[in-house]
Amino acid sequence: MKLHKNSKKQTEKKSFLKKWGGLILWILLLGFLALYPYTKVSGIQLFSATQVFMLVTLASNWNLIGGMTGYIDFGHTVFFGVGAYMMGILVTQAPLAFAPRLSFWQALPIAGLVALLLAVSLGWVTLRLKGSYFSIAMLGTFAATREIVRILRPLTGGGAGLDLPPVLNRLGEYYFMLAVMAIVVSSIWWIRRSDFGLSLLAIREDEIGAEMRGINTTLHKLVALAIAAFFTGITGAFWAWQNTYIDPDVVFLESRTVEMVMTSMLGGLGTVWGPPLGAVVLYSIQNIVWSNLLNYHLLALGILLIFLVLFMPEGILGKLGDRSSISAIRLIQRWQKRR
Amino acid sequence: MKNPLLEGRQISKSFQGLAAVKQVNLTVFTGEMMGLIGPNGSGKTTLFDCLCCLQPVDRGKIFFKGRNVTQARPNQLARMGLARTFQRIRIYRQMTVLENMLISRQWRGETLLDIFKSSHRQTKIRAKELLEFLLLSHLDREYAGNLSGGQQRLLEIGMALMPDPEIILLDEATSGINPTLINTIKERILILNQQQGKTFLIIEHNINFISDLCSRVCVLHQGEKLAEGTPDEIKTNKAVIEAYFGR
Repeated sequence: MKLHKNSKKQTEKKSFLKKWGGLILWILLLGFLALYPYTKVSGIQLFSATQVFMLVTLASNWNLIGGMTGYIDFGHTVFFGVGAYMMGILVTQAPLAFAPRLSFWQALPIAGLVALLLAVSLGWVTLRLKGSYFSIAMLGTFAATREIVRILRPLTGGGAGLDLPPVLNRLGEYYFMLAVMAIVVSSIWWIRRSDFGLSLLAIREDEIGAEMRGINTTLHKLVALAIAAFFTGITGAFWAWQNTYIDPDVVFLESRTVEMVMTSMLGGLGTVWGPPLGAVVLYSIQNIVWSNLLNYHLLALGILLIFLVLFMPEGILGKLGDRSSISAIRLIQRWQKRR
Repeated sequence: MKNPLLEGRQISKSFQGLAAVKQVNLTVFTGEMMGLIGPNGSGKTTLFDCLCCLQPVDRGKIFFKGRNVTQARPNQLARMGLARTFQRIRIYRQMTVLENMLISRQWRGETLLDIFKSSHRQTKIRAKELLEFLLLSHLDREYAGNLSGGQQRLLEIGMALMPDPEIILLDEATSGINPTLINTIKERILILNQQQGKTFLIIEHNINFISDLCSRVCVLHQGEKLAEGTPDEIKTNKAVIEAYFGR
């Protein structure tokens, strides 16, 4: 009887840790990161940290629709690009046909909302497509949007791009991106624990079953895409502000989506803590590769991607036993089933 | 006279020219248990899929609770009170048994804000009660993929019961299950029908299972309705015997 009581206590302790452990660690980490600038750090270190926060945010957003819902979005950078261009158009002082010259804080929510609206209108059509057709449709949308931006010269500056007001505030940028990352990852933690998160996983695992159990799958997918697009748009807007210059080729980069996918895969597709973990590891690997193999860094990242798919398809957290992690191979098998 | 609950009128469905279901009429009345039998490939599961709106019909109409639902989406039908299980078990193997049950909760009146709400305490209590009813309560924290085939079948039935549906469509609920567990499933279905008034439409190859439970049986053969009647009438029907055993 005593033994039974002890094992029950142990199970409860385990389940408490499983339930809250990640969040407690996350809050501690955020506390440390909030104090980090007060240690003796250089501007470049703050900049690097900001880049990692951005990668965490982008990958977590992508993971919401790609990893948790199982809809691989190869064109997710389109929301980043739209956010960046909205910021560019709204704050720029260049002689454009439409130049309202808003402040950063005025332009930021507009950029997020435009990305959200684009996601809703795109998702309404594309999320009805099953499996790989959705991925191809999003990739097509991404490429088409880049060309539209290039053509709309009076509004976007065309191929010449836009110059944004020059700013240099590494500390402010650091705290801004830290806050966005904290909001995004914490929201995704909450989503994963809510029925909404469960429904997204149900859609990923078996969409027909989810539909037959009364889940309005189209609405759920649309909401997931809209949330992801909003924060991706916000991140894009911030990136444009920080970079002070945008043109279609630097904003609409295919490799940005690849980075989001790789980060999620490395950490664990469909998990809450996978993208943050993956971002730190990937950023560190990228830095090592850049500093040692500058001419071959893309090749090295390609090899890393092959290694991941072959030997660690369920990512770091999946290897550590997180059951919500899904391997890319299983995700593709789900695509076949959805047809 | 009981009211028709689920009705398929002149249902036809074909796949790339192959007619899977041909002008089948089927009515399930409130509170009854009806069996649907037929040799392999006779169109039983396709008819199920059509009745659940998982497959759009080529011709014909479907009525549920008197409403024409031919164009409805499966989730709308589920929210109206229709639940089903599948020939190939569809549970979420990466989730716990309890999570599987919670996913299948009552989603009625779903709005944009509703989807962010978490399960009420009552939903969890109902899930646990149902698991107890299906003898799975000790496995509620276990991953569904770790359950045996029979336990997975029971879980799928539990998931179908979660939203408190009016009709449950069971697609070969006993396939690959040992006789003891089949008896458990049979007992539970009887209790649900007799004590809670649930309506069942059951696809089965196990004729004894159908005879013990159902008051009416419909036989499909090569996509067409071959016969309909009580289990005893069906067992002695010459056309049915020919369809199953040949001349």
